[in-house]
Amino acid sequence: MIQTIVLGLVLGGVYALMASGLTLLFGVMRIVNLAHGAFMIIPAYIAYFLFTTWGVDPFVSLVVTMPTMFLVGAAVYRFLFPRLEGSDRYSEMTVLLTFGLALVIEGFLGYFFTGIFRSTTPSYATEAFLLGDIIVPRGQLYASLASLVLILMLWLFLRFTKMGYAIQALTQNRTAAQIVGVNVRRVSTVSFGIGIALAGAAGSLLSYLFTFYPGQHWQWIALLLSLIVLGGLGSLAGAVVGSLLLAVLSALVSSWLGATWSPLTFYLALFLILLVRPQGLFGTQEAV
Amino acid sequence: MVDAVTHDGPPAEVPLHGSSRSRLWFGLGLLAFLILLPLSRSLVGGTFNYVMQMATISLMWVTLATSWNLIGGYAGYISLGNNVFFGVGGYLAAALLVYQGWSPFLVAPVAGLVGMALGVVVGLITLRTRGPAFIIATIALLLMSTLVFNNWELVGGTNGLSLPLPAFSRDWVRVPFYVAMAVIAVGSVLLSWKVAHSKLGLGLRVLAQDETKAEVLGINTRRYKVIAYSLSAIFPAMAGSIWGYSLTYVRPSVFFTIAIAAQMVLMAIIGGRGTVAGPVLGAVLLVGVNELSVARFGSSELNIVVTGVILVVVLIFFPLGIVGSLRQHRRLPRFLDWD
Repeated sequence: MIQTIVLGLVLGGVYALMASGLTLLFGVMRIVNLAHGAFMIIPAYIAYFLFTTWGVDPFVSLVVTMPTMFLVGAAVYRFLFPRLEGSDRYSEMTVLLTFGLALVIEGFLGYFFTGIFRSTTPSYATEAFLLGDIIVPRGQLYASLASLVLILMLWLFLRFTKMGYAIQALTQNRTAAQIVGVNVRRVSTVSFGIGIALAGAAGSLLSYLFTFYPGQHWQWIALLLSLIVLGGLGSLAGAVVGSLLLAVLSALVSSWLGATWSPLTFYLALFLILLVRPQGLFGTQEAV
Repeated sequence: MVDAVTHDGPPAEVPLHGSSRSRLWFGLGLLAFLILLPLSRSLVGGTFNYVMQMATISLMWVTLATSWNLIGGYAGYISLGNNVFFGVGGYLAAALLVYQGWSPFLVAPVAGLVGMALGVVVGLITLRTRGPAFIIATIALLLMSTLVFNNWELVGGTNGLSLPLPAFSRDWVRVPFYVAMAVIAVGSVLLSWKVAHSKLGLGLRVLAQDETKAEVLGINTRRYKVIAYSLSAIFPAMAGSIWGYSLTYVRPSVFFTIAIAAQMVLMAIIGGRGTVAGPVLGAVLLVGVNELSVARFGSSELNIVVTGVILVVVLIFFPLGIVGSLRQHRRLPRFLDWD
């Protein structure tokens, strides 16, 4: 039991990193980014090729994947999203737009890299150590710790920098932020970039934690949506708590019913939360 | 989204006779074409089965896109999981054929009713949410169904079920499927037309624009939405029964993929959401584009890219779709104006 909970927790940190980018995009811009999973698979391939070609450690590859994905995200936002602004169902249009983006990314990845299951294999990926009589997988622990550090850095950035203030202002009230002089277009572009850069970091870690292939992003996005819906759409703290909770829960389900059914935890949780408490644990009513 | 029913300027009080006549002739012409198509055998010779197959596929997509439009277009509730009903219909007919020996042609109407009942149940649950939350709920529904059918031993898990070959002569083997699919497609378009010209359709369009105002007007929005959702499940379930039989197998990857959901949405949006003719036009157009892109790129991953690019371009530049945009510029030919 405790063993299962530990196994859940060490994955939960990574889920939290993945979910933090997604929840940031929704909070700041009301964009439900269905391409988030696809944006994670791209850096996973980058990390994979850095590792197989030059033996670059997945953690070191963060230095490449995060800036790359930041630029990709900023460019995608700048070129595509402003044209949708002003349509009276902006949120829904962004869902369809990012759905299209996800298909484009999936198709290109599949075309260039085929559907082969891949993963990087640094030595620590399969190692574990004992804490008392509990097995702690080394690779997953490292990934979770790195994730929590990145989330902490994101929080500090939002809390203590000028750009961070501007992003928070947009989250609270877009129009009011514009009135007090926030350059909405620029701040939105930067936040989209940051959101996708976080997906970039998640992709690097994902490259050795899981096997991946182009079509896998649908499973990821469903999982991530359930995490941020549970935490409350747009809430960073909610994303972290939701991730840890559901990661533990799914680890428990998989130890009771077998690994096949553990994804069902996420889908059912998503359904139940949307029905019972659509605003999630930490969300506000108007965000739904 | 700008709703397609919004008319600028004077309301389009269509003079009934002159225009409805051209529409009627166009409709009858289409129907005659559908009926006469199987007689083209002597004309097209060896490619006859291919022609029938393509026509069946087109009609299947017409059914799926038109049905999606009832909830996604008229009511403005974008569902990315409506192929669940398509799959349930396919599996129901397949299982009854394998275990009971019942012909899917006879089971199809039953599948339609089962689809409708399922639509009520699912609708009562998912339609409690709106906007992005509804879209997310429908994706969850689809992935949940995929998981269940992938692991359900009775219907063969990921391998699905193999169906016995129908005992038709080889030259005419595609025709029964074509006829059945044509009946289903015509039924779905008639339903769409009927809904568009009913109180239900009017209520749906009102709540698509502003749900709170619709409620204030006394429209039981919840009931309207659930009805629209269950209606949108009938014909896809029927189409699924016929489609599985014509493939001679059912498998989760045939029905329960997000790519199929994407195509349904895309066709309706390209043609024009919330219009009767739009999804029909979009379906035929996109089947053509897919066929071309398969011929050009092979059935590779680039087809997915093509679908995605078209979706992005249409959303950004023509959110009203073909029919909607033409109407906005008052260029819509009378015979396509079925609303």
